[in-house]
Amino acid sequence: MKTCRDTYTPLTRRGMLQHTAAGFGWLAFAALNAGTARAATGGGAYQSPLQPKAPHFPAKAKRVIFLFMQGGPSHLDTFDWKPDLMANGGKTASGDAAGGRGGKLLAPQFAFAPQGESGLPISELFPELSRHADDLCLLNGMHTSNAAHPQATIALHTGSINFVRPSMGSWITYGLGSANQDLPGFITINPVGGGGAQNYGSSFLPASYQGTRVDLGEGGIPDIRNRHLAEGRQRAQIDLIQEMNRDLLGKHPGNPELDGVIQSFELAYRMQTSVPAVLDLEAEEPATRERYGLDNEETREFGTQCLMARRLAESGVRFIQVSKGGWDQHNNLKSALTRNCAGIDRPIAALLQDLKDRDLLRDTLVLWGGEFGRSPQDQANGGDGRRHNNRGYSMWMAGGGVKGGLRHGATDELGGTAVAGKIGTHDLHATILHLLGLDHTRLTYRYAGRDFRLTDVYGEVAKEIVA
Amino acid sequence: MNSSRHSIPGLLLLLLSAGLAPTLNASEPTSDQLAFFEAKVRPLLVKHCYECHSTEAEKVKGGLLIDSKAGWMAGGDSGEAIEPGKPAESLLMETVRYGNPDLQMPPKYQLSEAEIAVLEDWIAMGAPDPRTGPAVAKAAGIDWEKGRSHWAFLPVARPEPPAVKAAEWVRDDLDRFILAGIEAAGLQPVADADRFALIRRVTLDLTGLPPTVDEVGAFVRDPDPDDAALAKVVDRLLKSPAFGERWGRHWLDVARYADSVGKTRNVPFPYAWRYRNYVIDAFNADKPYDEFLAEQVAGDLLEARDAKDRAENLVASGFLALGSMDLNERDNEQFTLDRIDDQMDTLGRATMGLTLGCARCHDHKFDPIAQTDYYALAGVFASTQTLSGQQNRQGGNKDYHQVGLLARLDAGGDAPKTPAAGQAAEISRLTDRMRQLVAEGKKKNLSKDRRAELRREVADIRKTLAELGGPDVGPGSDAGKKKKKKGAGDGPVDPNAAYAMALSDGAATDLALRVRGEPDIKGDLVPRGFPTILKPATPVTLPEAGSGRRELAAWLTAPEHPLTARVMVNRIWAHLMGRGLVETVDNFGASGAAPTHPELLDHLAGRFVDGGWSMKAMIRTIVLSRTYRLGSDQPASHVAADEGNRLYWRANLRRLEAEAIRDSLLAAGGMLAPGRPDGAPFDASVGGDLAKTNPGKRGGAKAGDPIARPERSVYLPVFRSRLPGMFTVFDFAEPDQVNGQRDVTTVAPQALFLLNNPFVVDVSRRAAERILEQELPDETARVRHAYAYTLCRYPTEAETERALAFLGAEPDRETGWTALVQALYSAAEFRYVP
Repeated sequence: MKTCRDTYTPLTRRGMLQHTAAGFGWLAFAALNAGTARAATGGGAYQSPLQPKAPHFPAKAKRVIFLFMQGGPSHLDTFDWKPDLMANGGKTASGDAAGGRGGKLLAPQFAFAPQGESGLPISELFPELSRHADDLCLLNGMHTSNAAHPQATIALHTGSINFVRPSMGSWITYGLGSANQDLPGFITINPVGGGGAQNYGSSFLPASYQGTRVDLGEGGIPDIRNRHLAEGRQRAQIDLIQEMNRDLLGKHPGNPELDGVIQSFELAYRMQTSVPAVLDLEAEEPATRERYGLDNEETREFGTQCLMARRLAESGVRFIQVSKGGWDQHNNLKSALTRNCAGIDRPIAALLQDLKDRDLLRDTLVLWGGEFGRSPQDQANGGDGRRHNNRGYSMWMAGGGVKGGLRHGATDELGGTAVAGKIGTHDLHATILHLLGLDHTRLTYRYAGRDFRLTDVYGEVAKEIVA
Repeated sequence: MNSSRHSIPGLLLLLLSAGLAPTLNASEPTSDQLAFFEAKVRPLLVKHCYECHSTEAEKVKGGLLIDSKAGWMAGGDSGEAIEPGKPAESLLMETVRYGNPDLQMPPKYQLSEAEIAVLEDWIAMGAPDPRTGPAVAKAAGIDWEKGRSHWAFLPVARPEPPAVKAAEWVRDDLDRFILAGIEAAGLQPVADADRFALIRRVTLDLTGLPPTVDEVGAFVRDPDPDDAALAKVVDRLLKSPAFGERWGRHWLDVARYADSVGKTRNVPFPYAWRYRNYVIDAFNADKPYDEFLAEQVAGDLLEARDAKDRAENLVASGFLALGSMDLNERDNEQFTLDRIDDQMDTLGRATMGLTLGCARCHDHKFDPIAQTDYYALAGVFASTQTLSGQQNRQGGNKDYHQVGLLARLDAGGDAPKTPAAGQAAEISRLTDRMRQLVAEGKKKNLSKDRRAELRREVADIRKTLAELGGPDVGPGSDAGKKKKKKGAGDGPVDPNAAYAMALSDGAATDLALRVRGEPDIKGDLVPRGFPTILKPATPVTLPEAGSGRRELAAWLTAPEHPLTARVMVNRIWAHLMGRGLVETVDNFGASGAAPTHPELLDHLAGRFVDGGWSMKAMIRTIVLSRTYRLGSDQPASHVAADEGNRLYWRANLRRLEAEAIRDSLLAAGGMLAPGRPDGAPFDASVGGDLAKTNPGKRGGAKAGDPIARPERSVYLPVFRSRLPGMFTVFDFAEPDQVNGQRDVTTVAPQALFLLNNPFVVDVSRRAAERILEQELPDETARVRHAYAYTLCRYPTEAETERALAFLGAEPDRETGWTALVQALYSAAEFRYVP
């Protein structure tokens, strides 16, 4: 499906930045000296683009943690229990039911058992997560339009395959602002996979809404550390810079860019403290670190990300993404899935537990999943691999106003194609926005002469899953 | 079949709108049939389809109405819905059976078997339907009359410069247009900028570098009046090679220039740098803009004086080969149409401010550009071979990089040449055939004879491919011997080899319109041509042979073309004045901004054409005007009357671009290497998908953070999606598409970069050392120097006091000076043009 190609008109973004006086980019805080020079221009006081904004209607969720599994995790071995596939392993599939391509069926490689009071069937790969089954809402009717990794990944993040568009985190931060003005509103930890920066880019939305990339090493954010001046000396240096900036502003009273420069230095200075502090996991109790698996080689990396995500969520960051690659099991399905799931099971369970303990799960939407799923068929009749499958796969949600212990949607008997409770990419986005109190048809941004939406002209909210 | 699918609704619409609704079906339904329809079919359609496919629908989906016979007969965007009497051939049946995963109706659930059977029976009996009603929800179409009257499509006028009261203020006719506007608002222009500000402004504007201390001194002490003194400076700057480096980069923004293809398989363009150099040289040589454009659109087809000229023309045509493409696209048709779309969009917005790309899938929503106009011009590019040196992956182990898809600049002493017409297609065909043969060869039960045949054909194809410069594939080839890691591919490529990205003519062919832009839903063939709204009085006929690009270039650069000159003078104005006369510099259509000074725009456009399209002359005219010279005072009266300075009563404060900031940092520290580095901006170690090979972190000769290199920023590689962090944070033009005006964001990471980045600390230290090395009487004199080096002015007394106090508080002298210089670099004043 085509949509209009990008037609860049700088009026919108520049206009906003230069003329509405909302221009000071990410992380501005309420003006230091708002009003001082304002009378000269008649402009309003500066307002950070990240100031919290009211949703369209009362929200169930206030923030999102997206656990992105890049590569296409097999739904058939994790969250979509298919007894018929188990019964028919090794037989040759026919017809559309199995994804339209022939070949031998590969039975689920792991045992499923009902979990929790709800009895959600979850694979044995997730012993820890299964203890939270009654909080999970399995989305078994997912589908997407493209079966190639880069395209499907970009679609999941931005809604578009063909065009560079703002990512959902940018849209959400644009729609709601952020609760903490000392931190970015949208943070992606260790992003992986196809599409690169597009997956957290703001495209035509102002740069304030761009995802800030946090890497696990080196303080997380580029140039966040002052390594060359004593602490007091850097403050003196900034004071000197700010005096010069105020002199210049005096010659250009009311210039929003210059006021923005002044604020950007104050904020940068505070970020040097706030960012490393929130990312400092040493501040956590040893027992907590252990629950996230930081003491274990297998779980350390993802556990670190999950613990950072919890700390960022507590600090009021609006949209947090955590990523793990390596889910493309064309072969070595059994060993790779075992390893992957072991790597995330404990950390995710700890994250959900912590959110619950802090009463944050109520209004934090946790979303788990990849860009697509895998085929019921055997990759090459080798008994240990599956092909890509965009026609049916699974994600899950927890918290944030979704019904727990619910299995929503379904694939056909063999798990190839979504047939009920279908949720496509735009529907997923519409639903996430809905939980956040945003009407996906009203969250628009005018660019190149027309109003753009995250969901383009599509999207249906999956109301059935809303608690 | 395809074309009839498309034309039926059109014809029907015509007839209906003329009040001549035809009898849709000669045979009247029988009463039994009607009873069946009323009892079974109508309720079913109402229940399951009307929500989206009726005139009552909030929004009609897919352009299909199913609440009248005329509606379904007209069909929707995907074609006819029902073939009466033929359920098997009816799209409706395919969709309700969920036979096509992309088109399933109803979308949320499937009809029951019984319901599907009802529809099947109904269509089998000829789809009897008594319902009358319109075929389309609402008539669309282009209002050509209104379209023609849009200001940008009207001929360029030659307005008389208006009379003004303060005639002595005027230096050039253009000032009259500005002054008239200011006076009409009851205002006067503010005072001129002082000479310190002026030389900094004009030097940064023309070269992207700050003036040296000596240059500042010479200008502020020049006893000549401002006009003469400024003219001397401007003429010196226009002759400087740095001029082309600055203004060439402006054009590279428009040309979406990059050194890699971007998107999913981000493979480098090893020879794009030749185009970059061509652009810089063209600006320095003041190549007339009409020639500059003609060479970029049709350089391969133009007469050349000699081999060197021919090579230059070929390199110029690389303009339309530099697009960002998805090399992972497996559908060749899609890939080709996406390529053409990049060329359409780039040509349209870069040269004409026209968003032609909007008409790929439907008539343009705002401008008088029909979808047929799109495919008419697209045919010119469909008849062109794009020699980007890359091809999309079509399975197998084919390399993305293809030497056969480049122009050779040293064809064994002969003139430079491009592959013959159809060569790209032939290479593609042969590699596809090779794949089939290899697949067949893997079968077990082949006869001996067949095997021998296969071997012979494989050998023949390899030989032919080698002759054509195509890839070495198949059994026995390097590619065949070892299976390459997916996406890695592509061995080392020497970026200094004598190749260029270019265009060449392919087989002349008209393109079929694509319904909704879908590659496989073809409409009628559209004869090649130029957009209807811009047809010249004497019609242009495109040759039967050849793409028509030569004619396209001539049409585009004709003096009477209403857009070409206007768009370019507006770009020049925007770079010098901070805002275009048309603020949307890449969009002159109805959804763009209207000109604030339409007469001035036409005045400049007319002078541009009359002056032989000289870009240097136009730039000289503007920077020597009185308007350019204005200071930045802000009297309250003026602010009250025109807060946004739409009238240009003062100078706009403008932030420098990322490159100018970096180059200024290097220059002020005396670290900038002058001149152009030889050859390519990267070496053969950079190749394959950059997302995987990660240039800068491997041991190539030019590894490391590119911003620490000493050359001007325009000579650093521009890898799509892998821009240096400093470029991104200071709003470098995203090179995916035409970008005539940079964003200006003000964000905390910019402050973090200036405060903490090792490059900034390093250049600060070097500049501090430079100051401390000199024989100067005292710290006060050194502070004076520091200001002169960094901000091109001397400090006030208060500023000197401040700086001395800052230095005094730091025990280590060098650290103190480094921090002081860094503060000067970090101050807003350093990165704003006064």
